[in-house]
Amino acid sequence: MAAREIPDIKTLLASRRGGSTRARGRGFGRGGPGASREGSETIKDSAVRGTDQDAAGSRVSCVELGYLDDVYASLFATQASTRRLPLLNRGTYVRTSAIDQLVNCFLNTHPSSPKQIISLGAGTDTRYFRLCDAYPSTSIRYHEVDFPTNTAAKLNSIRRHAQLSNKLPLSTHPLPSPQSESYHSPTYNLHALDLRSLATTTTPSPETPSSQQPPELTNLDPSLPTLILSEMCLIYLNPATVSSIIKTFTTHYLSPSTPASLILYEPILPQDAFGRTMISNLATRNIHLPTLTAYPELGDQRARLKQYGFVTGAKAVDTEFIWREWVGADEKERVAGLEMLDELEELDLLLRHYCVAWGYRDGGNGDGGDVFPTAWAHVKEQI
Amino acid sequence: MDGHGCIKQQPTPSITHLLSLPSIHQLASPHLSSHPQRVHSHICLLYRFKSSPLPQPLDGRGTPPPLSAPRHIFFAYLLSKPTRASIECPFKPKPRLPRLPAPPWAYSIAAIMSIGGSDLDRAITQLRACRPIPENQVRELCYKARELLIEEGNVVGVDAPVTICGDIHGQFHDLMELFRVGGDVPDTNYLFMGDFVDRGFYSLESFLLLLCLKVRYPDRITLIRGNHESRQITTVYGFYDECLRKYGSANVWRYCCEVFDYLALGALVTGAATSLTPTDGPIAENTQSMDIPDADCDIEIETLNANGEIMYRYARNSDAHSNAASATNSNPASSSPIGPTPSNTGPAGTGATSSANGSSKNETGAVLCVHGGLSPLIDSIDKIRLLDRKQEVPHEGAMCDLLWSDPDEIDGWGLSPRGAGFLFGADIVKHFNHRNDLSLIARAHQLVMEGFKEMFESTIVTVWSAPNYCYRCGNVAAILELGEDGSNAGYVRRSNGERGGGGGGLYGPGPTGRGWVLGSNVGPNGNAIGENRRLSSVLGDSIGRPRDGPGRRYRVFEAAPQDSRGMPAKKPVAEYFL
Repeated sequence: MAAREIPDIKTLLASRRGGSTRARGRGFGRGGPGASREGSETIKDSAVRGTDQDAAGSRVSCVELGYLDDVYASLFATQASTRRLPLLNRGTYVRTSAIDQLVNCFLNTHPSSPKQIISLGAGTDTRYFRLCDAYPSTSIRYHEVDFPTNTAAKLNSIRRHAQLSNKLPLSTHPLPSPQSESYHSPTYNLHALDLRSLATTTTPSPETPSSQQPPELTNLDPSLPTLILSEMCLIYLNPATVSSIIKTFTTHYLSPSTPASLILYEPILPQDAFGRTMISNLATRNIHLPTLTAYPELGDQRARLKQYGFVTGAKAVDTEFIWREWVGADEKERVAGLEMLDELEELDLLLRHYCVAWGYRDGGNGDGGDVFPTAWAHVKEQI
Repeated sequence: MDGHGCIKQQPTPSITHLLSLPSIHQLASPHLSSHPQRVHSHICLLYRFKSSPLPQPLDGRGTPPPLSAPRHIFFAYLLSKPTRASIECPFKPKPRLPRLPAPPWAYSIAAIMSIGGSDLDRAITQLRACRPIPENQVRELCYKARELLIEEGNVVGVDAPVTICGDIHGQFHDLMELFRVGGDVPDTNYLFMGDFVDRGFYSLESFLLLLCLKVRYPDRITLIRGNHESRQITTVYGFYDECLRKYGSANVWRYCCEVFDYLALGALVTGAATSLTPTDGPIAENTQSMDIPDADCDIEIETLNANGEIMYRYARNSDAHSNAASATNSNPASSSPIGPTPSNTGPAGTGATSSANGSSKNETGAVLCVHGGLSPLIDSIDKIRLLDRKQEVPHEGAMCDLLWSDPDEIDGWGLSPRGAGFLFGADIVKHFNHRNDLSLIARAHQLVMEGFKEMFESTIVTVWSAPNYCYRCGNVAAILELGEDGSNAGYVRRSNGERGGGGGGLYGPGPTGRGWVLGSNVGPNGNAIGENRRLSSVLGDSIGRPRDGPGRRYRVFEAAPQDSRGMPAKKPVAEYFL
């Protein structure tokens, strides 16, 4: 019983299309016929780079409200902190604490033996600095890989705050000049490069113009047990490129007998109503998630990890499961008490659309080769 | 009422200002002293505010109280966490924000005028265009609305036909879509079950429009309170910030909150038909026409899309409905809207409900509408009527529960993970419905992806009217239409729901409903025998005379297209984890 007096917004809309009100300042938005492919790729890249500040803001919001304990978060955030909605804080908490748990298990296994962590698209992540505090006696070789603009910004933050630069071996490896984008030391390394340059596909694609030797990653030890982290990073690349990048790490940078693992934090379930809305909402921000449709469910994530060569174990859980099963009762009560959360159904929906997947391979020849199976033996998996 | 002329803007907002002067003024007025009940409630109100001021932060930023702590301590703690200047506890007097220059629309209507008559119509026109009205008009509107709402009982009596709507949450353009799909006010009689504000970007315009319509057509639209119609919640979830942004001060937020305190807690719909008159609309594309029962069957449920096309239809006593109805049940947890409708089975006509509007017993039993759900402290509708509702939503107790609770697949009562209200199971609903002679509880409060969800053998339904909630969830929305069975003919269209109070507020005859009255040609006794037999086989022979649930027509609609929203200066970005 549509009332005749009420205009149908859909019809109105059709007549308004092409009006001048829609374009808003920016010279882009809709990849119209004029926009060159190159241009739209640049736009996408900058949109992806911009996601880092988004994550930093979410982290600060969580820290300020007491969800997370991270004294370094605010040192990297460039924007004034805005309070996120309770459900986003809860989600950020679940994501961060889940990966922390996996990383802690890794570092606590054979604590005396040195270990290596490679964080892809690390952006303003504070994990290295937090681990320095938490594991002062463990030998950790930490690598972060990101776009040069992001690594340069990170170096600037480190330069500005003694709290951060204290954590680096500055006496032997001083900070580089303000213009430089990389930093190298035996403990902490910032590699300024486009991850796509690590992909060595035999068939050149627009993303990987030529098949050449990947660049050298300074201080990357080929034999240390290595954990590769991708928190909302590889999701922005093509599945083939991702596969190639991982292969470069597991076969080129690391010797094939090195125990290695990969932790992914990504959205899942793109086909349902929430997933479809997410894809279209992010598309309006020029953010595209090509691997999302390639690995839509937990099972696909597990299969994918096996395909990458992490054959000893390949597990995946969604973040709703993590909140339910990984977070202890006391901690749940503490977190639930931080903010009133009215959006329960929405939170559930949101948490079910993100997953943490982890896969690992054995070192084979004894002596610490079992570090990953040992570390993660008791981590609950979603059936 | 002549009192409003003497309201003076107080320089510093305070608790006494929250109350505003008219109440005190009214107390002294001889006109009001003839209404002892009302005077009493004013006294209660004054007493409440004087003796227990609104919650203040208790323990600063110390350790959180345990969850087992009394709720008010817990909530006060939650609200005490300062994170952003504008979020800080609004109850403390704080320095006035600098006034922004008056926006252009402030001059579009004469500066000093009372809202009413054609001015009201103009305000409605302006709000329909999603433009806020000037602050002084908001003040007048809110004052008028309170005058009106104070006359309503805690449980408003509403006669079918009525269209029941769930959460709106400031999604103004979707509210316009709702009116397009469901019919305009006053042609359609509406009942909104709260949560008008927060989360969306146009809480202000949405709520003020609904309020204008309420003042303009009081007997054609009913507004009841949701848990977001609260000072505390609106400071966290956006309405407070929105008012501050749009007016440069919190005055409008304060006026609206005063109205919130007067909103009814529930509504009781009587006179709903057991069967729908089938829509003669076309059948929607994806529906198998063989699944649609004949139009001459007794139609219990019909679901239409936004274009009025039939998505499915379910005849009472039909066994073949399950296929056609499966469309709504992609979520395995959602109980079927097509199950038998035994509802309650008690002796007829004994409850308080059917006397509310003076009509004789009606076959369907009444439909209780409430935002959240039931309370362990409330076993009868009369107990709701006894509450003193004119206050901020408390942190616990019956009033809080009505606005916060959720049905769940449990036995009895359970703790709510929301931190307020309770979970309640099928047994609670069936017992409550039986005792109160209800055939259905309609509530909102929970996002359901399909727009509506019937539970517990159709004894309770969740109606959700905010499509693509928060511009992120991808859900569809629904409204529920109940037709009239004709038994209310000749009676007043509306009562204030108070028992034995001589009927209460008559707001004039009001326009009669439009011509699409559902089920008016279906006798209430249509197939009582068959119904009895069917229910006997489901529930056993010991049951008493069964009550039919009302015929239910759901209209399902999607979000208004993004581009039509006339995006605000700050483009709304649904946030994700990136």
